[in-house]
Amino acid sequence: MTAAAPVLVVEDDAQMRRFLRSSLGAHGFEVREAATLGEASAAVRAHPPELVLLDLGLPDGDGLDLLRDLRMTSRIPVIILSARGREAEKVTALDAGADDYLTKPFGIGELLARIRVARRHVSGAGGPAAPEVMGAGPFRVDRGRHEVTVDGGPVHLTPIEFELLAVLVQHAGRVLTHRQLLRHVWGPEAVGETHYLRVHMATLRRKLERDPARPQWLVTEPGVGYRLRDASPATD
Amino acid sequence: MSDLRAARRLATAVVAVGLATAVGLAAHGHVDLADLAMLYLVAIAAAAVAGRGSALVAAALAVAAFNYCFIPPRFTLQVADARHLITFVVMFGAGLTISTLMTRLRRREAEAREANLRARGEELRSALLSAVSHDLRTPLAVITGAATTLRDSRGELSPSVRRELEDTLVDEASRLERVLGNLLEMSRVETGLVPAREEVPVEELVGVALERAAATLGSRPVTIAVPPDLTVSVDPLLFAQVLGNLLDNAVRHGAPPIEIVARRRGDQIELDVADHGPGVPAAARPHVFDRFFRASAAPGVGLGLAVVRGIVTAHGGAVELVPGAGGTCVRITLPAPPVSAPVALGPAAPAGHAQPAAALPGRAT
Repeated sequence: MTAAAPVLVVEDDAQMRRFLRSSLGAHGFEVREAATLGEASAAVRAHPPELVLLDLGLPDGDGLDLLRDLRMTSRIPVIILSARGREAEKVTALDAGADDYLTKPFGIGELLARIRVARRHVSGAGGPAAPEVMGAGPFRVDRGRHEVTVDGGPVHLTPIEFELLAVLVQHAGRVLTHRQLLRHVWGPEAVGETHYLRVHMATLRRKLERDPARPQWLVTEPGVGYRLRDASPATD
Repeated sequence: MSDLRAARRLATAVVAVGLATAVGLAAHGHVDLADLAMLYLVAIAAAAVAGRGSALVAAALAVAAFNYCFIPPRFTLQVADARHLITFVVMFGAGLTISTLMTRLRRREAEAREANLRARGEELRSALLSAVSHDLRTPLAVITGAATTLRDSRGELSPSVRRELEDTLVDEASRLERVLGNLLEMSRVETGLVPAREEVPVEELVGVALERAAATLGSRPVTIAVPPDLTVSVDPLLFAQVLGNLLDNAVRHGAPPIEIVARRRGDQIELDVADHGPGVPAAARPHVFDRFFRASAAPGVGLGLAVVRGIVTAHGGAVELVPGAGGTCVRITLPAPPVSAPVALGPAAPAGHAQPAAALPGRAT
């Protein structure tokens, strides 16, 4: 299903690069590698990649700088590779324009899923405007009519819940940080009010999930934000 | 602060000598002068407990008081008989000796305490080393074995054997990850952890823990009874680890079904994770939350529950085994968050996605 696509792996650990090169290569990706920030910048200039896997801790600088440089000129998907316990770092990168993140150690299935979602969002949405009618998993959101259905059945949502679900469906499969969600639904003055978000997410789950304590779709990314689970099959 | 300490030492000396004098005056006429001198020596010894300075002051005061109150001519500082001067010298000398001995004793005590601490640290380090080397090496050995078998087999493994080895690799790697996670968490707890608290629905914490433990839990049934509006003020990441460790324990040492129950009781939140296994043996119950303690021969560093206790304590909560539960039931008690104003539900829908930000009612930021 995957056509050859140049992926730039920016990672200082040689074994990690080897794993990514062979695994992604086996799935039809053309992989380029950079071990330092300098190499990465040069590689981006020489051959703009279709997607970047970025480890933030590089020997010659912060991967965030590369991300910010990239974002000034392009919307190339960037997926952050980071260790557990570094949630603040991940949030900073996501708020600075990274598309998603993976916590090391990760499996190849997870990586391919993230890549698939990131590429779909680039090729699908041509611009920032979201389509009138969107679907993801069992959900359909009609912004024109202000209607939501789950497996075809209508569900009544409050305006806040509607907006929250709509933005998650629009970015289905991608993580959205607390800040991004708060800014979108409540406005820029509310970005610190994480408690609002949690309460409304809880009510949304009660309306949409079969078992709100074990959400199948509205997944918590602890310390980071929320994600509407990607509905497309997990095969590559 | 040192002024205060000096004043206390002085006061101890004055009180001790004063008491001796009072007793001496009361008993005067019934006892010998030599007995009175003994009484003062007791007072000096008592003052010496407060420190060297105190003993010296007490010795000087004792000599003066003894002289003034009891040595003829009484109630003067004059000394009629030169014999009494020797008594004074002996009293003062005794005070000096006692205070020197006291100081030495104290220094030894401090040294012994320090040595004891060092020994405990050493013990801890060696326990840690042996636990780590066992619990990191074992999965590593399995991984090495399985990986080399896969690499060196030239297509002669049956698909089922291959599959088994591959599963082993993945399982053991995640076991390594778990041990490492608890080790890191333990060291954070030991060095003083400041949780980044947020008010979080308990339901969400449980959801995260179940999602993370999905592979460990497999198809084991988990029943959840958590009121949807129950919130706690905790660090969500740390609590994911707490609940994850409890679920992990329930899977490895208990038997299904696993139950997660939360409730509010007065100004406390109780969160129980229970299983229906054999429970913890009575002898082991007081120690289950200690570091490196293992209740059974099952593999594990014995850090999981210690991390749970460390994190819960850092949140001002408590963790205990509920007695009388069928299997193992671990109960976490946390102070309930202050009752906050209900969250505003927002105004009418934003007009459309062109202006997605809905105004936040009643908030001045």
